[in-house]
Amino acid sequence: MKKAIKILSLMLIVSFVFGTVFVGCGSTNKEPVKADASTKDAAAKKEPVTLKFTYWGSPIEKKAVEDCVKKFQEKNSYITVDGMYIPSADYLTKITAMIAGNDAPDLGYMDVSLAFKMAEEGKLCNINDFLAKDSELKKEDYLDNIWYNWAPGKSLGTNSACESITLLYNADMIKAAGVETPPTKAENAWDWDKFVEIARKLTIDSNGKNALDPAFDYKNIKQYGVQFPTTWQYYMPLVYSNGGDYVNDDGSKLTLSSKEATDAIQNLADLVNKYHVAPSPVQQRSMPAPSVGLQSKQVAMILAGQWNLLDLGAAKLNFGVGVLPKLKKSVTLVLGSPTVIFSGGRHPEEAWLLYKWLQNPESSIDLQAGGLWMPLMKDWYTKPELISKWAENNPSHPEGYKDAIMKQTIEKGVSGPAYYVKGFSEIDAIIAPALEQVWLGNKTAEQAIKEVEPKVQEKLKGRYDNKKQN
Amino acid sequence: MTIKNKTNKEQISSQVEKPGCIFPDVLSNFTKFGKKGKLNNICSYGGHMKQETNNRVPMFEDIPENASNIRLGHLANTKKKNAYRQEAILGVLFAMPAILGFIIFTLGPMLASLILSFTDYAVFNKLKFVGFENYINLFNGDNPFFYKSILVTFYYVALSVPLGLTFHFFLAVLMNRKIKFRGIYRAVFYLPTILPIAATCTVWMWLFNPDFGLLNYLLGFLGIPKLMWIGSEAGVVPSIVLTAVWIAGNTMVTFLAGLQDIPRQMLEAVDVDGGNAFHKLRHITIPMVSSTIFFNFIMGIINGFQVIVQPMMMTAGGPNNSSLFYGMFLYKEAFEFSRMGSACAIAWVLFIIIMIFTGLTFKSSPMWVYYEGEVKGK
Repeated sequence: MKKAIKILSLMLIVSFVFGTVFVGCGSTNKEPVKADASTKDAAAKKEPVTLKFTYWGSPIEKKAVEDCVKKFQEKNSYITVDGMYIPSADYLTKITAMIAGNDAPDLGYMDVSLAFKMAEEGKLCNINDFLAKDSELKKEDYLDNIWYNWAPGKSLGTNSACESITLLYNADMIKAAGVETPPTKAENAWDWDKFVEIARKLTIDSNGKNALDPAFDYKNIKQYGVQFPTTWQYYMPLVYSNGGDYVNDDGSKLTLSSKEATDAIQNLADLVNKYHVAPSPVQQRSMPAPSVGLQSKQVAMILAGQWNLLDLGAAKLNFGVGVLPKLKKSVTLVLGSPTVIFSGGRHPEEAWLLYKWLQNPESSIDLQAGGLWMPLMKDWYTKPELISKWAENNPSHPEGYKDAIMKQTIEKGVSGPAYYVKGFSEIDAIIAPALEQVWLGNKTAEQAIKEVEPKVQEKLKGRYDNKKQN
Repeated sequence: MTIKNKTNKEQISSQVEKPGCIFPDVLSNFTKFGKKGKLNNICSYGGHMKQETNNRVPMFEDIPENASNIRLGHLANTKKKNAYRQEAILGVLFAMPAILGFIIFTLGPMLASLILSFTDYAVFNKLKFVGFENYINLFNGDNPFFYKSILVTFYYVALSVPLGLTFHFFLAVLMNRKIKFRGIYRAVFYLPTILPIAATCTVWMWLFNPDFGLLNYLLGFLGIPKLMWIGSEAGVVPSIVLTAVWIAGNTMVTFLAGLQDIPRQMLEAVDVDGGNAFHKLRHITIPMVSSTIFFNFIMGIINGFQVIVQPMMMTAGGPNNSSLFYGMFLYKEAFEFSRMGSACAIAWVLFIIIMIFTGLTFKSSPMWVYYEGEVKGK
């Protein structure tokens, strides 16, 4: 009897303890251990250190990152890296749960919006502090347009890799249609009318007529001239090209509603609804990925991220790269997502070592040469001996790559709104659905954006200006 | 089938009527050994096991009754009480895994989320109590998605529950008839329930394709112009309802079970009275399965309010948020905007909405749900 009560009370206590542990999660935080030991000292001591590193990516990227981490461990034998691969669809959920459970990684890939919020709460390290102490690297060694700065002098890090938006095409289809190949130099970039004309020539219906033909049947299109996803990554380059921006200089006003911006967006929508040379988002949903569409000749040109080179190179497709068509000036959009070091980790110095290692193009050269990533360091865009290591003589980097993408990215690359608009993911959550009506042809870009402008205006909180800060 | 059921039922009811312990002989043999307290346990649990095999639902109150029978009245009242308490404790202990599971994995998180719903919590920040602010922000329209998602979800529930019930009931009636290859048909209609929902979504997306999807192709034969299905604001919710109604298995099976419980003589009585199939359906079948309809109706409402996978997979909430279901809204708030406090408030609002609807259904049930053996007015 007493025994039974004892057991019962024990169980109750256990359950309460569990309960409080669950409820209490997240409210306490480990104190960061002071990092005073220099890199060399740490290495000399050889105290075993374990770092937890989380990342996402395709199977190829996973393999490459694993190899990269393995090499790092060989070089720094006292550090063990616990690399955790999390599929990108689950990443936010998983990482949130890890943080809530006081089990945050030491460093990892991160969603831009979440990263900014965490940095403002002091949960991420300022990478500038590490750089200031570092003897090997200076901030000037990096590209300028890949930094995520949440306040002047405070940076949560760089892109995991550099990416930009470009024009990719199936060279055989261009040849078959007898049209000019897209230019690779910024100064020769097609203007919009020229681009539309080429796209119309490349769009073919089931009777073999192209979109310039009066008898063209746009309801039965066999081959589209161009395909583009309808998210901000693809309309913002045109907005910048037309002299527009997402918000004004101090981030107090939405300028996506300005004429420069809405015209640019309308131009893209017209490709779908007016000229019928591009599939609508609804049609795209049941079409293969754009890079696959190029291979299966469903589409001749795509506005796409340069990371698609990996798939195209692997598919041994006869493809080419070109600069994006321009409205007023030729630009491209630089994008990516940051790798961050979490504050509160026990080994910030070792985390920085791994951070540097991951950033070094040399250690992930397969991904650079394969076409998935572009280097983060300036030297790799300017010094011929370094360029030859990744951007030449491989199937993923066709002729013209160096002009159309590499040079374009460092010379004409504009960091996208995710780098500087505060609360961007919430603002985009309002803008993106509104623009869906534009892609479907139910409203003009101006109407759609003007309609949600008051709602967006309420959500604007300024900008993390990454241009004034350095 | 029906006859077998009936005899089974009779057995059960006769079992229920027997008072006290079922196997007094066996139990009295046990009493010869050892301490009484221990034996009581053995006896009563043994009795339980037997009872369960006889389909009798074991009841907690049975225990002292059994116990008193076994002891043949030797024991004083206090001892009786002790024994009762002891058994109660042991009973609770044996149920502990389930109780602990509920406390740790359901009640605990629920309470935690209730508390969090009054805070400004983003997982990585310090908890700050904000009172009812999260709730106020939802209802005063500060959150641009709240009313939209409520509207979308209500529309979906209002459409999918009646449609689903009717269609699944109709299917069950068909499957209950003595037709050839009935087993195969049943399996075929159950199949969508076993398939992973992500896979069925992908297939439906192909069917819905406005240009070369099968549905538009078929409509073309009838001279109906192409529909946009999930691509248009007006069409997206009905299209998703279609995919949900197609997954018929579970509801159909419960309906089938209900249909098979209808005593044959009742249907025969209608025949004798000269009634037709409609009369059977209207006056016998539907009233007799009303409790199953009631169950499926409530489950339909609960599941309908929580739908998330189809819109996530097929539309991502679009176009123009016209398929932004409540579940998706909650997910976005929690993980995309990392506003956990607000997300908890959203979850509680949903809980209350579901509770109200379930409550209303229960309240209305005496008017339309008929239980066999129930006497009106009791």
